[in-house]
Amino acid sequence: MSDGWVPEIRPTDDMSAEERQRLVSSMRPEDAEPVPELHEVEVPDELKERIEAAMAKYPEVRSASLPALWAVQRHYGWCTPDGIRQAAAVMGVTPGYLESVATFYDLFRTGPVGRHHVLVCHNLACWLRGSEDVLDAFCEAAGVNADEVDHIGASSEDGEVYLKAFECLGACDIAPMASIDERYYGPLTPDDARTVIDQLRAGADPIPDKALFGRETAGGPEPEPDPRVKKGETNPVGPGREAEEATGG
Amino acid sequence: MASQTRMLFRHIDEPGLASIETYRSLGGYRALERALNDIEPDELLTTLEDSGLRGRGGAGFSMGKKASFLPRGEMEKFLCCNADESEPGAFKDRELMSKNPHQLIEGIIIAAAAAGAGWAFIFIRGEYAQTADVLERAVEEAYRAGYIGENILDSGRRVELVVHRGAGAYICGEETALLDALEGKRGNPRLKPPFPAIQGLYGGPTLINNVETLSNVPHIVKNGADWFKSFGTEQSPGTKVVSVSGRVQRPGNYEVELGMPSRELIFGLAGGPFEGHEVKAWFPGGSSAPVLTAKELDLPYSFEAMAEAGSMLGSGSIIVADDTVSIPHLALRTARFYHHESCGKCTPCREGTNWTVKMLERVISGEATPMDLDVISSVQDNIIGHCLCVLGDSMAMPVGSMVAKFRDEFEAAIEAGRDAAPRPLDESPTDVKPVPLEAVR
Amino acid sequence: MSNGGDQITLVVDGVEVQASAGEMLVDAAKQGDVEIPVFCYEPKLGEPVGACRMCLVEIEGIPKLQTACSTPVRDGMVVYTQTDRVKEAQNSVVEFLLVNHPLDCPVCDKGGECPLQDISMGWGRGKSRVIDAKRHFQKPIPLSPLIKIDRERCILCYRCVRFSQEVAEDEQLQLLERGSSSFVGTFDDRPYIAPFHGNIIELCPVGALTSDAYRFRARPWDIEDAGTVCTLCPSQCNIKLTVRDEKIQRVLARDNFEVDDGWLCDKGRFGYQAIESDERITEPMVRRGGNLEPVGWTEALEAAAEGLRQAGERAAAIVGGSSSNEEGYLTQRIMRRALGSPHVTSSLTEETDRALHVELSRPERGASVSDLDSAESILVLGTDPLHSMPIVDLRIRKVVRRNGTRLAIATDRPTALDGGAEETARYVPGSFAAFTAALAGEAGADGYERAPGDTGADAERVAGVLRPGSTIIVWAGEPNGSLVDLARALKAKTLEVPSGANTRGLREIGCVPTAGPGFSETAEGLSAADTCNALTEGGLDAAFLVNADPVRDAPDGPAWTEALTKADFVLAISMFEDASTKHADVVFPAESYAEKEGTVTHPDGRLQRVRPGVPNPGRARPTWEVLVELSALLGEETGIDSVKEALEAVASEVPFYGGITEEEIGGLGVRWQDRDAAGAFPGEASREFAGGGSPASPAPANGGLRIGAYRDLWAAEVTDRSPALRFLAPKQTIELAPHDAERLGIGGGDEVDVRSNGTSVRARVVIRERVRPGSGFLIEGLGDLAGTLVGEDVEVSPAGDDE
Ligand SMILES: Cc1cc2nc3c(=O)[nH]c(=O)nc-3n(C[C@H](O)[C@H](O)[C@H](O)COP(=O)(O)O)c2cc1C
Ligand code: SF4
Ligand code: FES
Repeated sequence: MSDGWVPEIRPTDDMSAEERQRLVSSMRPEDAEPVPELHEVEVPDELKERIEAAMAKYPEVRSASLPALWAVQRHYGWCTPDGIRQAAAVMGVTPGYLESVATFYDLFRTGPVGRHHVLVCHNLACWLRGSEDVLDAFCEAAGVNADEVDHIGASSEDGEVYLKAFECLGACDIAPMASIDERYYGPLTPDDARTVIDQLRAGADPIPDKALFGRETAGGPEPEPDPRVKKGETNPVGPGREAEEATGG
Repeated sequence: MASQTRMLFRHIDEPGLASIETYRSLGGYRALERALNDIEPDELLTTLEDSGLRGRGGAGFSMGKKASFLPRGEMEKFLCCNADESEPGAFKDRELMSKNPHQLIEGIIIAAAAAGAGWAFIFIRGEYAQTADVLERAVEEAYRAGYIGENILDSGRRVELVVHRGAGAYICGEETALLDALEGKRGNPRLKPPFPAIQGLYGGPTLINNVETLSNVPHIVKNGADWFKSFGTEQSPGTKVVSVSGRVQRPGNYEVELGMPSRELIFGLAGGPFEGHEVKAWFPGGSSAPVLTAKELDLPYSFEAMAEAGSMLGSGSIIVADDTVSIPHLALRTARFYHHESCGKCTPCREGTNWTVKMLERVISGEATPMDLDVISSVQDNIIGHCLCVLGDSMAMPVGSMVAKFRDEFEAAIEAGRDAAPRPLDESPTDVKPVPLEAVR
Repeated sequence: MSNGGDQITLVVDGVEVQASAGEMLVDAAKQGDVEIPVFCYEPKLGEPVGACRMCLVEIEGIPKLQTACSTPVRDGMVVYTQTDRVKEAQNSVVEFLLVNHPLDCPVCDKGGECPLQDISMGWGRGKSRVIDAKRHFQKPIPLSPLIKIDRERCILCYRCVRFSQEVAEDEQLQLLERGSSSFVGTFDDRPYIAPFHGNIIELCPVGALTSDAYRFRARPWDIEDAGTVCTLCPSQCNIKLTVRDEKIQRVLARDNFEVDDGWLCDKGRFGYQAIESDERITEPMVRRGGNLEPVGWTEALEAAAEGLRQAGERAAAIVGGSSSNEEGYLTQRIMRRALGSPHVTSSLTEETDRALHVELSRPERGASVSDLDSAESILVLGTDPLHSMPIVDLRIRKVVRRNGTRLAIATDRPTALDGGAEETARYVPGSFAAFTAALAGEAGADGYERAPGDTGADAERVAGVLRPGSTIIVWAGEPNGSLVDLARALKAKTLEVPSGANTRGLREIGCVPTAGPGFSETAEGLSAADTCNALTEGGLDAAFLVNADPVRDAPDGPAWTEALTKADFVLAISMFEDASTKHADVVFPAESYAEKEGTVTHPDGRLQRVRPGVPNPGRARPTWEVLVELSALLGEETGIDSVKEALEAVASEVPFYGGITEEEIGGLGVRWQDRDAAGAFPGEASREFAGGGSPASPAPANGGLRIGAYRDLWAAEVTDRSPALRFLAPKQTIELAPHDAERLGIGGGDEVDVRSNGTSVRARVVIRERVRPGSGFLIEGLGDLAGTLVGEDVEVSPAGDDE
C-alpha cells in the first residue's frame, strides 16, 4: 500500500468547476451515513444470525466488529459496502466505523476479489529461501500484475484466483510458503505455484502433499526424554503427596 | 551433541493430542484440578513468581510478577492470551496451539484463576485459521468437560473463554493494540500508563501473556517452582521453544533449555547453513532484534546473554542469513515489513519507517550517496525511544545494526551504482533446493 | 481543566513552577512560561492520546523521553525541555511530519495561523534532509458541502476523527487504511454531514480541513477578531468573528467552559452568511400603496408612533427570542408605560402564571451548564437538545462518556441522545404534563398516585435512574406544577431549554403578560394565542413585532397571517422581509448579533454581552436607540442615552440583576444567581403544587396516529438565508414507527398527506425504530400547517394529486 498508490476517492481533481459544483450541490443530508436502522437494509438471515451470535459472545457489543466483518466477507466474498451497512445496522454502529476497522486489517478486502485466496509470504525467511521466484511463478500462472500483487493484491481475469504478496504468515519452517484458502502449504517451488493455480482453476484440492497440517515437529521425536521432564510426568499430579513435594510445600 | 529438552513439546506428535481425551490420558488438566481446589489464588501467584517464568512474547517480563500487579477485589478482570504471533521468524505458538491446544487452555484457566479473571480471550492472528479451528474445537470440549464456564470443577469459579480471530495486522501483537482490536477497534496501541494490569480491556484490570508463557503454567503448577528452575539458567529458567529459519538445513521449532550455546541450536539442531556456506548474520529474537554476526555464535542463548550482546532474545526466533545474502536487501525487506505494519498512530514510526524504506530503495537502486547512510542511521536513532510503542524501534534497531555492522556492504552497493546493483541473494535461491519434507520432520 | 488537586511544585528548566497535582505537564509548564509544542493534544477532546510525539521532554529519573501532554505532574518533578536530547527529538518529529507534507504554504489557507508552520519555525531543524517523493492524494475534495479536505497536508493527528468519535459521536469521520497510507475519510466517500462537523476546521492544526466559505478570503494579517455571542439559539455560544473590510468572513469558537465548552454547531458557525446577505433590510420602510418603500428615519418613526398611538392600549407586542434584554426592556416599557397596554410577550405558545415563573426561576433551583459536569444523573424531559440547544447535546454526551453520568430520557419523540441513555421512555405526544406528573409520583412527591398502565411503568424505569440530590433536569415544554414537585422530590436542579435564544432574559426583564420586570406584579395581558385571536376579531388593533415572525414561528402560523392582515397597524423590526413583514405598515431594519450591543441572559441565568463586530448595514440604526426615540415620541421620556444606561435601567428594575454592569459581565459573562443581588429574587414562599397534574392523554384509539411536532435544528430563517446552509433546509417529513408504516402500507420516502379536520399537510415518510407506535412527528417552523395538527389524531394516506 505504499508509494504511488492513490486510494480511490471522489475524483474531484479532474473535474471542471461546474462538475465540482454539481457534485457538491448534489450532496444531501440523506447522503451522510449515520447508524442505519435495520429496516433500511436487507440483511440475509444467516448473516444476521452470525453477527448476533458474535455480539452475544462478548461483554461489549463492539467487540463483535471483527467477527462481523469476517461474517460479511464470508458471505459476500469481500466486505462490500452493502454488507458493511448491514453489519452496521445489526450492531448499531456507523458503516464508517466498520469500514475504518476493515481497512486497518490486511485480511479484510474492501474491493471485489477472486474466489480462491492465495497469500504468498514474501517476508524474510521465505525470501531467504526463494519466495521471489515462487511469487513470480504464481503471478505468471495467474496472469496478474506483480506490482499490484505486491501492493493490494490482484485477481485473475477469470475471477478464480486472488493473489497477494503477504507478510510473514508464521510458518517459516516450511519456507517458502503460501496460505491458500486459509490453509498453509510449503515449502513451495515455482512448479508448485503453477500446479496450484491449475488445480484451483480445476476446482481441485491444491498440492495435498505440501499441506502443513498434520506434519511432525522438526527433529522428530526426542530420543530419550530429559529425566527431569520424566520426573514431572511420573509424579503425576492430583492430591497426591509427591505432588505436594514437587510444589515445594 | 545438541539435544532438545521437551517440556511443552513433550508428546507433541502423539496422535490425537489435540483431543481432550488424549490430553487427559497423558496427565492433562490435573494441574487445573489442583490449582482450583487445593491452592489459594495468592499461593498460585507466589508459585508462578517463584518459578521465575519470563514472558515468551518478547519483553521477557516475569509472568508471576505481572499477574500480581492486578488489583485485588471484586471487579471484572480479564486475561488475554496473545496468540498473534506475527513477528517474522516466529512460528512456535502455531505449533503449540495446533498440536496441543489443551495445554494452553489449561494454562489460561489456571492463570485466570490466579489473577481472579472471569473472562479470558485468546487473540489469535486471523491467518492461523486452521489453528483457530483447532482451538475452538478444544475450547468447546473443555466447556463440555466443565473446565471452562460457570463453577469450574465445583470450585465456584467462573471463567469464560473466547477465541477471537484477528484479521491481519502485526501491531495487534502489541499488548495494548491487542486490547483495542479485541474491543472491536482498529488495532492501535494505547498510551501507557495506564498499564493493562490496571486499566486494560474494557477499562478493567487485564493480564496479557503469550501462548508459550501460558503453556508453561500447568507444568509449573504440577511440579513446582523449584522443579521449573532446575531447567535453564538462573535468570532465564525453563525451556524455550525456538523457531529457527532462514538459510539453515533443518528449519523448525526446537525446544531447548535456555542458556544453550547458540551455535548448538543453529548448527546442531537446525543443521547449520547449506554445504559450502557460512553464517553471515543472524537475528536472535525475530526480525526486531539487532542482528548478530558469526562472531557471536558461541553466546549462550538466554535473555541475559542476548541483551548483553546488544540484541535480544525476544520471542525466541532465530533467522539465519548466510554468505549468499545481500545485507542492504535484507535491511530493505526488514524495513518494508515494519513500514507495512506501522499502525500510523504516532509520527516517528509512521513517517520514519516510510522514509527509511524510500532511502533504502535508493541505496539498492544505486541512487544514494554515502551521506544517505548517515541520514539512514540518524533516522533510526531518531525513531528509537520516541515512539508510542516499540514497533518503530523494532525496525530501527535491526536496520541500524545492519548499517553499523555491514556499512561496507551498503557503501559497495551505492558505489556499484544502478547497473551493478547487487542481487538480493548472490546465489540463485532455487539452486538451493527447498528443504524436502523429510528434512522438516 | 485541573480537578482542583493539591498545589505542588515542580521545576521546569530550572524554574520552580506551582501547579495542581494531576495537571498535565504541558499545561503546568505554561505557568513557568515554558511552551512545549503540541499537535495532537487538545484537552477538549478528552484524554490525551500521545500520538504526535511533538511534546517529548526529559524528566529526571525516567530514562526515556516522556510526552508532556500525557504526563501528570508530581511534586518535586524535575523537567527539562531545552536539552540537546529534547531538541533533537523535537527536530526529528518536525522533520518526520514534513516527510509527507507538501509545504505548499503560499497557497494554503492556514498560512499565518498554522501550528505546523509555527512549530516548524520554533522547534524544527530549519533545513530538510528529505529528497524522496511524497505521498499523493487527489485534492482538495469536498468532505462535505461545507468543508474541503486536502489529505496531502494532513499530519494524521486524529483531532478531527477524535471529535467525530468522542465528542459529537456521529462516528462518520474515520481514519481509513493503515500506517503511512492512512487518510481521513468517510464510509464509501459519502459526505460528512452532521450538525457539529464544522468544529473540525478549527481543530485541524494544518490546512487539511478548510471551510469552503472561507477559502481564500483572507490572510490572518488582514483580519480583525471581534468577540460576541451567537443568538441563533438558547445555547448562546461565545463566538469570535473574523472581520475583514467590515465584513464577517467566518465565525470561530471563543471557548467559554461555562457555556459552550469551546464548540459551536454548524448553524452558529456558518449562519453568519445570513448577516452578510443582500436580502437584509437596510433602511426604514413605510407601506405606501401596498408596497413597503424606503423613507427617512424621522418619517418612519413618526409613522410608527402614530400607528401605535392610535391603538393605545389596544396594541400588543411580540418580542422575538433573539432580542437583547435592553430591546425587550424598552419594548415592554413602551407598551406598559407609553401605551398603557399590558399585552407584551416573548412566548408564542402558552402563558404561564406569575407564581410558576417565579418558582421555576428560583436561583437555588437553577442548574448552570457546567453543573451538568458534576451531576450524577441527568433527566432529559420533553426536549431533544440536539435540535433546540445543540451545545447541551454535546455537553451531555461528554459527561455520559467521560464521567459515567447516568442519563434518562423521557420524550414523545426519539432524541439524538437515546444511545447513551440508561433508560428512555416515549410518551404519547401531548402528554408532557401527564408524564411529568407520573415521574413526580415515582420520585416520591406527595399527593401523586401511580399512573396507570405503561405510563406508570415507564415513569418508574426513568425515575429509577435518577439520583436524589444529584440530578439535573433538562426540560422543555409547558411549565407545570408537577415539574416543580418532581424537582423538589428529587432535590434536583433544573435547566430549561427555552424556545428563543434570550427567552429567559426577556422573561426576567418583563416581556411576559403575567409579570413586569423582575417578575413584579402587574396588570395581566394577553398571551400570544389570545393576541392573535384578538387581532383577528378586533379586540386589539395594532401589533408590534420586535425581531419576531409569528407567521413562521407560532404553532398556528396561518392564523397569524389573518391576524396581521386584520390588524389596523403593524410595526415590525426585522432583519429580513419575511412572512410577517408582508403585513407590516412600518418596518425598521433590525440588528444581528454581530452588530448590536447589549446583554442577553443564558437559560442558566448567565448574563452575556453581545458586542458589535461589524457596522450596521445601510441606514440601519441601533434598535435600542430607535426604541428610545419611539418611546419619546409616544410621550415616555426614558432619559436613556446609551446601551450602558439601558442596562442600568434594566438593573434597577430587575432587583436580582441589581447593579450589574457591562464591565462586570465582561467577556465570559456572569450568572446572576452567583451575585449578591440574587437575594433580591421575589421572596414569596414556595407555593404548593402537589395534586397530581393532568391526566395522560390516552393513546389514539383504533389505529389512529397522534401527531407531535419538533422544531428541527435547520428549520430556521438562518438556514434559508445562508447559502452555505441552504442544502440543509428541511422539507416536511412524518416520522413513523415501522409497525405503523407497515400497517398503513407505506414505505420510507413515500409522499403522504397527513389529514385531520380538513387540515392537510404533505410530508415524506421517514421510518424510525425508536418512534412510539401510534405517534407521528412533523416538523414545525416550515411555514405550513404542521403546527396545527399537533395533538390531533390524523389519517395518513398516499399523497393525492389535487393537493
Ligand atoms: C509490535 C509488537 C508486536 C508484538 N507481537 C507479539 C506477538 O505476536 N505475540 C506475543 O506474545 N507478544 C507480542 N508482543 C509483546 C506483547 O506486547 C507483550 O509484551 C506480550 O504479549 C506479553 O506476554 P508475555 O509477558 O507472556 O511475553 C509484541 C510487542 C510489540 C511491541
Ligand atoms: S485532517 Fe487535520 S485534524 Fe484531521 S488528522 Fe489530518 S491534520 Fe489532524
Ligand atoms: S501533543 Fe503530546 S503526543 Fe501529541
